[in-house]
Amino acid sequence: MPELESRLRELGRHVEFPPTPDLAPAVRSRLGKRRSWRRPAAIAIAVVVVALGAVLAVPPARTAILEWLGIGGVKIVRVEELPPAPAIGNLDLGRSVTPAEAHRRAPWLLEPADRPDAIYLSASIPGGKVSLLWGTPERVRLLLTEFRGEAFLEKLIQPQTKVELVEIDGNRGAWLEDNHVLIYRDRDGLTREDTARLVGRTLLWQRGDVTLRLEGKISKKQALRIARSAR
Amino acid sequence: MVVSRPPTEEELVERAKRGDEDAYEELVRAHQGIAFRTAYLVAGNAADAEDAAQEGFVKAYRALGRFRAGSPFRPWLLQIVANEARNRRRSAGRRAALALRAAAEETSGGAAPSPEGALLGAEERNRLLAALNALREEERLVISCRYLLELSEEETAAALGVRRGTVKSRTSRALARLRVELGDSDA
Repeated sequence: MPELESRLRELGRHVEFPPTPDLAPAVRSRLGKRRSWRRPAAIAIAVVVVALGAVLAVPPARTAILEWLGIGGVKIVRVEELPPAPAIGNLDLGRSVTPAEAHRRAPWLLEPADRPDAIYLSASIPGGKVSLLWGTPERVRLLLTEFRGEAFLEKLIQPQTKVELVEIDGNRGAWLEDNHVLIYRDRDGLTREDTARLVGRTLLWQRGDVTLRLEGKISKKQALRIARSAR
Repeated sequence: MVVSRPPTEEELVERAKRGDEDAYEELVRAHQGIAFRTAYLVAGNAADAEDAAQEGFVKAYRALGRFRAGSPFRPWLLQIVANEARNRRRSAGRRAALALRAAAEETSGGAAPSPEGALLGAEERNRLLAALNALREEERLVISCRYLLELSEEETAAALGVRRGTVKSRTSRALARLRVELGDSDA
């Protein structure tokens, strides 16, 4: 009879373990999130190139561009006059999904420590857009929209809108306090206006190649706290 | 003449530290088997084990800056993965302990038996498994890590979150109990 230890070692070769899943792709897709913010230089150039096309497509009433600023996949553009306000309450967020499905479809999704009341998935932006909602679609308390960097958004702001640069975990962000209109390119490359127009307080930042936009009735301090808790 | 050789683990870790994701992917592929199995023993089910192993690899990557150059990677990694596995087990409440089972028998015409393959008959294996499953959980875990997964004492200590001395004493206690259970006279 061999030693107990060697019998146990041999037993190890006969014990049933579930097959090891290939973890490399999922791990790999999550690696860049904190470290890849050195990359945005390339993204920023792409945004500028795309931006020229998009700005030209904006109707004449807004063509007077005063200044602009790029944050991730979003370009903030100060214009003389905002386009007329789209109807409020027509929030096109997409399809309501479970957190598990949201993470499966958008593995890059970041979630703040406070769990949202609902999560929506929309294909209106290339690469997908995820919206995390606190409150109800009729009474939105807070809305966090996330998409990947290859998408392109343009935010139009009025001359009096205050834009403040902030830092979130080493990444650049912007805090805006006023009304704005969001313009984005849809999957077919068409320039569209976002129908959502919330209270006008927005925090915009990026994490890796994910661009995040938090909107609602919150203070800058609250917004930064939520942003810094996103994982 | 320059002979190209595969990079050593130390080189891969150094490259990963500098943000080389290809190098880290190689480390993941090299260690995912042992990481998943360790997590499976600790968490008690495959879904939590996969989750814990994935989370562990991501956390380890982010913590590479604190990894001491030149020290072995595996115990450090297993500590992080097993910690994730324990957290999942804890948050799921106290489930029934994992019962180890023997794999379905290969047909006799299958792969060549390992050199030691003839040592244990199916009946003997089942007796050994039953005795192992009857151990207290902390003892079953230490035996499973040390012998079934063939982790070193250092790796077992890291995986179970205990000191090396505890691994030693727990192992000898568990072996003694197994010998009694099996009626072995070589104790």
